[in-house]
Amino acid sequence: MGKYILQRLARSVVTLIIVFTAVFMLLRFMPLNGYFPQEMIKETDEATRMTYLRNLGLLDHPFVQLWRFVQNLFQGDLGRSITVYPKVPIITLMAEKIPTTAFLGFWSMLVGIVAGISMGMMMVRYKNRLGDALGNGYILFVRAVPSLIYLFFLQIWVSRWFSLPLVYDKDIPSSWILPIICLSLSSVAWYALWIRRFMVDEENQDYVKFAYVKGLSRKEVLRRHIFRNAVIPITAYLPSDLLNIVAGSLIIETLYAIPGTGGLLTTAIKRQDNNLVQVLVLMYAALSILGVFLGDLLLALVDPRIKLTEEK
Amino acid sequence: MKRLIRTLCLLLTLCVAAGAAAPALGENGAAQAILDGKEYTNVYKSYFSTSYPSLNYFSTSYATVREFATNCIDSLVEPDVYGNYVGALAESWEVNDDYTVWTFHIRQGQKWIDSTGAQTEYDVTAQDFVDGIRYIGDPLNDAYSLRVIRNLITGLYDYYWGLDDIDCGDDTETKREDLVARFDEIVGVKALDEYTVQYTLDNGAPYFLSLVESSMLLLPVEYDYVVAQGDDFAVDNTHMLYCGPYYVSSFERDKKIVLTKNPFYWDADKVTVDSIEYQMIPDGTTSLEMFIRGELNYTSVESEAFMSLQGGEWEKYLIPNEFSFSTNYLWLDFQGANPEFNAFIQNVNFRKALRAAVDRESLAALREPMQPARLVRNTVNAEGAIFNSQGVDYTQISPLDEIANADFSADEDAARTYMEAAIAELCDADGHIKGVEAGTVDYLPVIKTEVDGKLPVTLIYVGTNDESEIILAQLFEAMVEEAIGEDYIDVVLAFDTSGDFYGTVGGSVDGPFNYDIYWDSLSTGYADPSGILTRITSDGVENVGCYSVPEFDALIEKALSAPTFDERLEYFAQAEAYLLDNAFMIPVISSLRGYHMTYDIPHTAPRALYGCDRYKGIKVATTPITLDEYNILDEAWTSQRNARQQ
Repeated sequence: MGKYILQRLARSVVTLIIVFTAVFMLLRFMPLNGYFPQEMIKETDEATRMTYLRNLGLLDHPFVQLWRFVQNLFQGDLGRSITVYPKVPIITLMAEKIPTTAFLGFWSMLVGIVAGISMGMMMVRYKNRLGDALGNGYILFVRAVPSLIYLFFLQIWVSRWFSLPLVYDKDIPSSWILPIICLSLSSVAWYALWIRRFMVDEENQDYVKFAYVKGLSRKEVLRRHIFRNAVIPITAYLPSDLLNIVAGSLIIETLYAIPGTGGLLTTAIKRQDNNLVQVLVLMYAALSILGVFLGDLLLALVDPRIKLTEEK
Repeated sequence: MKRLIRTLCLLLTLCVAAGAAAPALGENGAAQAILDGKEYTNVYKSYFSTSYPSLNYFSTSYATVREFATNCIDSLVEPDVYGNYVGALAESWEVNDDYTVWTFHIRQGQKWIDSTGAQTEYDVTAQDFVDGIRYIGDPLNDAYSLRVIRNLITGLYDYYWGLDDIDCGDDTETKREDLVARFDEIVGVKALDEYTVQYTLDNGAPYFLSLVESSMLLLPVEYDYVVAQGDDFAVDNTHMLYCGPYYVSSFERDKKIVLTKNPFYWDADKVTVDSIEYQMIPDGTTSLEMFIRGELNYTSVESEAFMSLQGGEWEKYLIPNEFSFSTNYLWLDFQGANPEFNAFIQNVNFRKALRAAVDRESLAALREPMQPARLVRNTVNAEGAIFNSQGVDYTQISPLDEIANADFSADEDAARTYMEAAIAELCDADGHIKGVEAGTVDYLPVIKTEVDGKLPVTLIYVGTNDESEIILAQLFEAMVEEAIGEDYIDVVLAFDTSGDFYGTVGGSVDGPFNYDIYWDSLSTGYADPSGILTRITSDGVENVGCYSVPEFDALIEKALSAPTFDERLEYFAQAEAYLLDNAFMIPVISSLRGYHMTYDIPHTAPRALYGCDRYKGIKVATTPITLDEYNILDEAWTSQRNARQQ
């Protein structure tokens, strides 16, 4: 097991280096005008713009820039944003934004898991009856209808009916409710869908038939036997989901004016904020790799039948 | 003796009453009744829609940050409620006869305060204004929109580029610290004593006070503090100092900013609102809903929302926005990669055909459905922004007045006639465009298309993929093809989907732009036409269409060296008229957008013409202002202003 973990870690580091270097170099092929805000392109002459680029270190050779970034990284300096939040230390930005997104993301994930699994179990228990139909209707609705429509409806009308704030405010707990619900809507559907599928699948297994033969009630079989097996494949995704809550949601953070990380990477890429893109890519890539890795470990932990290494 | 005391008391009472009645709206009975009938609050809740990068007022291009700075860093002068300049940090000022030397006498006893509202050890002195110029004069500080100031203040241009030459290695002989040490000797800004600052300009600038109002670059800075902060200067509210009516007491990046009244401000009694709370609300519908719920004191109302509110209970609160000095125009590319358009755009008849084909009111109706005509503008510099010494509006100076007052509304006959004249000069009898071969137009990453070198001439309109801009572009296509005729012109629409229009369409820093026509805007930034016109000369920074108009350039040169301000405006008017009469650019409408709803009493805040909104003196009611109330108060204010002018 120890050797397996070490090998996976080594592979992860190599993957990370490749991903990061590729992104770093690709950023240097972007058009130089992309570094300027619209107003600056209109306001400044070419010489002033070149001065601006030189001050940012963007006219140095890409390898010089890469070496500088790596050196700073090893000194714990993530650098400063260059275009999105000029001169603001990226570590400060992360410290400001990640807690907000992670806080809402964590609670929405919890709501998603609890409500999604409950809905999935209800659909199995009332299979082909009203409960199942309602659940399927919800899943279809969430997956088929463009999210902006129902998210907008929730924000304007539901907030009006229940006198909830329209935008998020960290000091007003009632303003957290709608963003958390909105963030969890699709994950509720996802968990419900897969729990239902896995449980329906498990219902046809021999050990389930045996349990019924033993005289156990359907409720007991569903909860004690089927659910425990059906939930195993889902556990592999939990670490990834947990780590990726820091990524945030562009649409929901925009609607509720949440000062989080949603859309930060997109904005940074559009504005060619190389330093910010590099740090975000490094962070998201590391979290993704770690998520998959932890998912494998968790799977082996909850299901003793799964072995990560060959037994001698 | 008693009579004397009674008389003095009466006089004193009258003086106090007169002072309290500012801004004198009360002289109108109906206006006074409105003011008396209102209850007022001392908190103003507003919003901003885009995130702001940092609070550094010298390097920001963001309107939100400029608004914070305008209210938190006091300038030398400020506008009063009528738009006249009165002393702010400068108690008084004088200027020499040719407007090249401006001397300001700074108010004594003012201190910089920090983000907790506590006074620091730093006094606000004349040196702080000198150091402001020192800061922006260093290329390493990336001052934004430096060109006008850099070219105006004596020696600043040489100082800036001298440092730049050292930084980029072109000058290896001069030491940076030596040149920095010579700042006071080279640059025309001096602290004559602790409380007197003097600016020496290369050219006479009667409009200098309007530049003080509009430009962030003439604001003061406490240099010792800035040096101590290094790169952290103004990254948030705790890394900067304040000397204006307000300070930034709370700062949540991309979320919320609170401005709190500065208790040590020299004119604190006139600061009527204690706290200004800004929230970030990116979505217009949300801000409208929050206003309706009473959670905001102001919201803008775009035309779509305007239509939805018509006929409802909120219709009576819709107030039309008053003015915009920004002009939307069609920017033509004279050196683009499209050979068909390139051949035609050099022809004045073709340009006039385009100008005649554009139905300005229809385009304006997209923003102002009720009174679109009030948005129509034929000049680049806005009306009501610049006046000569006789009070004549710049746009009414001959020959620009003919352009400003002309009716360029869509004239299909004229458009067709001009086009036929252009075709007669540029095409063979069989419709081949002379000297143009079939080929490929590469405006990637936005569009790549084929042209055949024959009529109809292909015109590639490039825009952003913003919904309102797409509608505008489609309308433009329809009106041009209908007026000129599809047999003569084929308008191709192409939209940039990258979200970074200028980055994409602009290509490389020094490369040509990729478009035939696009929709853009220019704003009159201070009370002189040079703010726009010197940017669009043949070698101007804004001439991205790369036209060459020596006649225009010559008139601009004459204007810049004119002995008097009035003559200067006359030459500028001739230059602008020449450019527009020959349709080298085609102004269409002002950038004014729609309506707003508000709780603040109109004309109680300083009337900012060129700079950002100021909140000193603003009165905020506890209920929204109706349009009827607004009109009565506006009428009272207008008559007061006219009376003062007489």
